[in-house]
Amino acid sequence: MVKPIDLLQGTLDILILKAVSLGPLHGYGVLLRIQQISKDQLEIQQGSLYPALYRLEHQGWIASEWGESENKRKAKYYRLTPAGKRRFQAETEKWNRMADVMAGILSTTPEEV
Amino acid sequence: MTFWSRIRSWLHATVQRSCVESEMDAELRFHVEMYADDLIRSGVPREEALRRARLNFGGIESAKEECREARGVHFAETLWQDLRYGARTMLRSPGFTVTAVLALALGIGANTAIFSVVNAVLLRPLPFDQPERLIQVWHTPPQKSFPGVPTFAVSPANFLDWRRQNHSFQGLSAYGFGRYTLTGSGHPEAIRMVAATVGLFSLLHAQPLLGRGFLDGEDEPGREHEVVLSYGFWHSYFAGNSDVVGKNIQLNGQAFTVVGVMRPEFDFPIFSDPDSRTQMWKPLAWTDQERAIRGDHNYAVIGRLQDGVTLRQAQAELDAISSRLAQDYPNDNRGWGAIAIPLRDDLVGDVRPALLILLGAVALVLLIACANVANLVLARALSRRKEVAVRTALGATRRRLLQQVISETLLLACAGGVLGLVLAHYSLIWMVKFLAQWLPRSGEIALDGWVLAFTLGISLLTGFAAGLLPALRVAKADLNQALKQGLGRTAADSGGSRTRNVLVVSEVALSLMLLIGAGLLIRSLWVLHNVNPGFDARGVVTMNVSIPINKFTEPAQQISYFARVLDRVRNLPGVQSAGLIDSLPLSEDGSHQPISQEGRPAAPMADLPEVEVRLISPGYMDAMHIPLLSGRELDDSDVAGRVGAVLISESMAKFFWPQEDPIGKRLTLYFFPELTRVVVGVVADVKISALNETQAQPTLYFPLAQMSAARGETWHSFGMKLAVRTSAEPLSVVPVIAGAVRATDGEVPLLNIRTMDDSVSASLSPARFTMWLLGAFAGLALLLAMVGIYSVMSFAVSRRTNEIGIRLALGASRNDVLALIVRQALLLALIGSAIGIVGALSLSRLMASQLYGVRPTDPLTFVTVAALLLIVSLAASYIPARRAMRVDPMVALRYE
Repeated sequence: MVKPIDLLQGTLDILILKAVSLGPLHGYGVLLRIQQISKDQLEIQQGSLYPALYRLEHQGWIASEWGESENKRKAKYYRLTPAGKRRFQAETEKWNRMADVMAGILSTTPEEV
Repeated sequence: MTFWSRIRSWLHATVQRSCVESEMDAELRFHVEMYADDLIRSGVPREEALRRARLNFGGIESAKEECREARGVHFAETLWQDLRYGARTMLRSPGFTVTAVLALALGIGANTAIFSVVNAVLLRPLPFDQPERLIQVWHTPPQKSFPGVPTFAVSPANFLDWRRQNHSFQGLSAYGFGRYTLTGSGHPEAIRMVAATVGLFSLLHAQPLLGRGFLDGEDEPGREHEVVLSYGFWHSYFAGNSDVVGKNIQLNGQAFTVVGVMRPEFDFPIFSDPDSRTQMWKPLAWTDQERAIRGDHNYAVIGRLQDGVTLRQAQAELDAISSRLAQDYPNDNRGWGAIAIPLRDDLVGDVRPALLILLGAVALVLLIACANVANLVLARALSRRKEVAVRTALGATRRRLLQQVISETLLLACAGGVLGLVLAHYSLIWMVKFLAQWLPRSGEIALDGWVLAFTLGISLLTGFAAGLLPALRVAKADLNQALKQGLGRTAADSGGSRTRNVLVVSEVALSLMLLIGAGLLIRSLWVLHNVNPGFDARGVVTMNVSIPINKFTEPAQQISYFARVLDRVRNLPGVQSAGLIDSLPLSEDGSHQPISQEGRPAAPMADLPEVEVRLISPGYMDAMHIPLLSGRELDDSDVAGRVGAVLISESMAKFFWPQEDPIGKRLTLYFFPELTRVVVGVVADVKISALNETQAQPTLYFPLAQMSAARGETWHSFGMKLAVRTSAEPLSVVPVIAGAVRATDGEVPLLNIRTMDDSVSASLSPARFTMWLLGAFAGLALLLAMVGIYSVMSFAVSRRTNEIGIRLALGASRNDVLALIVRQALLLALIGSAIGIVGALSLSRLMASQLYGVRPTDPLTFVTVAALLLIVSLAASYIPARRAMRVDPMVALRYE
């Protein structure tokens, strides 16, 4: 197993948006979903997850409501709002461009300069 | 981030703080337990799983804190803290709190009250569909014959030509008023009737509740015997019975069919007095003869502008039509124009200036209150400098300090706003009672949503404005200096006191302006009270006497009916003298008619001079104590078949026969040409329509007994007014008079019973009302300014205790100290007064329309008011000055 890498500054938000874009999740579910789709390659500080969720909700990109969890317990579920969906698309685009640019820069060889 | 989600989450966070906290707990606990469950499932023992889950989660409390901050609880929290802190400090200094809240409540309350009046009268749309398209059209009379008269009623023929020739109006309708007597069930009832050409309801877009409006052709003579009832009358007289449509009723002895009932909100024309609401509408049917009348103006005209036509275009078209009519009919129409006035302006144009003046006045009061509170807060803030400095040292940000001072004044202003609403509610009850008589739409005055929004708005604005200045000063304070100086009691530190002086000077200036406004109104009301109306109102009671018209159709019968009524009334015990007139002094409904003098070349009607014409019975001049200046009075010998006799007023005599004796001069009334009439006497001028008439209006009186048949309809439908001079209390004689009238020829309604004193007083009530209100506001302003001076001087004295102690120790006398403080107060008051006088000089011109017999720059008022203000300032500074005088130098020096 590869050792998980720490999150880059500012990427937690987009990961959360991605996670809840696949369907409503409670906080712990968000954590599991991110670990699952990253194939356990990302290490998320559990303590920083909730402030991020609250911040995204306060900004109107996700909304929450209380529901029942898979093991019949009360849990707070988060889902993407329409504004969040737009935001997520914009962020994704920005992220991809950034990744391309970074990859391009980092793969530059001395001959190309 | 959307605005709403921010508000929502903020509200959520604020309102349900504890709820949010427990939800957050539950959510985090759920997370930890789920994690632990997963660990247990993978084989970890329960205790160990829970421990590891908590450990892996990290600091739960710090996560919570971050969560709180993330959802904006932080701001709410600090605001809440500030408000709680503010409330606590306010409770600790109740004197300050009560003073500030009261000042703000008075200011906000006055504003709320006046704004509700302005809102109902000037701002709220009239209760019609697209009311801004409704236009009142009037004649403009030739200024030669009618100096100063802006608008005039309309004649039938001119109205018909306007209606035919214009393209600007969707509909144009003429209407007039009539008094009808409803008989048939029990007591005869006097009905307020409006007769209108058929288009009225459709151009107002008014749908009847039951039945229909008028149909085309129903304004043809013979087909007009139909009425539409008002909702109120339908309810009170027919008990809201819906089978009323189709019923026949008896009006003035003729059968009318009820064809419809209007909706409750419909009222046209709109009157000031709710008691004069129209009860019925009937088609206005002109005979061919009447349709040709051009020179006799008796109707009002309303129209609705075509879509896309502006008022200016409509006016231009009316101008063109008028000049064409003046060319085609020079005899009647030369000099007569037409003017289109939006309905609302026509209705409330007269009261607008007074209301705007009051609105300006309350705005000034609120400014003063604001300055006052700013002053108080500043004084407190400066004495809390050490606290502020400590807080700054401990890391409070500038913004945080600003926020705290402003949230305190906001709290004060909101408390003031609530109290102000209560004050406004009660003062409105009082005001509406006085306003109802003369202010159009006063029935609509209410504390509605708009008013509440206004109150909330000005409360927040006031709180912000009052807090801003002190807040900036507090935040600017130099930390080091403040800490070093301790409580800082030296006069040298003048930063705060300069701001405070400016505030006091502006308070004095603003209240001086208000006081001068009130002073001018008081002066002019005083002048009006002492105006000689030309008659003696004391002991006179007046009332309308209608005619039992179904019994007496011929003018001769009607004349004899009135003679018999008068005969009975005169002989009653307690009655000194009695007489009849068609329109009493101080009323607007008198007739204005052209006359021609004998010996002058014949002229077309438009060129004839016009005078007020009154129809009277013998005894009228005597009953009103209008002095006879020369010649004789009318008496019982001036009847039909004898030489026509007229009395003229002094001003008419001077105008027509300036160098000659008017007695014996002959003239003809244009509308009653069958008799040549001879001037038999000259009487004193009376105030025709209002006490504030600046020019006496030439008036002619002729006897009812010499009234001809010609113009029956227009006068007898209004009845005559009976004026009775009594030897007892005037109203006590009324039952006896009513009995005498009934005994003459059965029941007729007696209307508008009131003493002449009341009429005089009522004609002053608009002026009196404005004066009382402005006076009250000025008094309020004076009080606030006084508090302002007092607090500034008290503060100055307490800050200068040290200095005063040194002065005393160095040999200054106590009187020197007194003079020192008083001089400072006087200086502030003098500067304020000087600024106020300049302001008043430029503003009082706006009040010219409200003044009578006083110039807006009346020096007496200015000097008196300025003197009053200086005396009050001295008084306000006296107590702090006495305190300064009693300073014990030993104590003062140790005081540091």
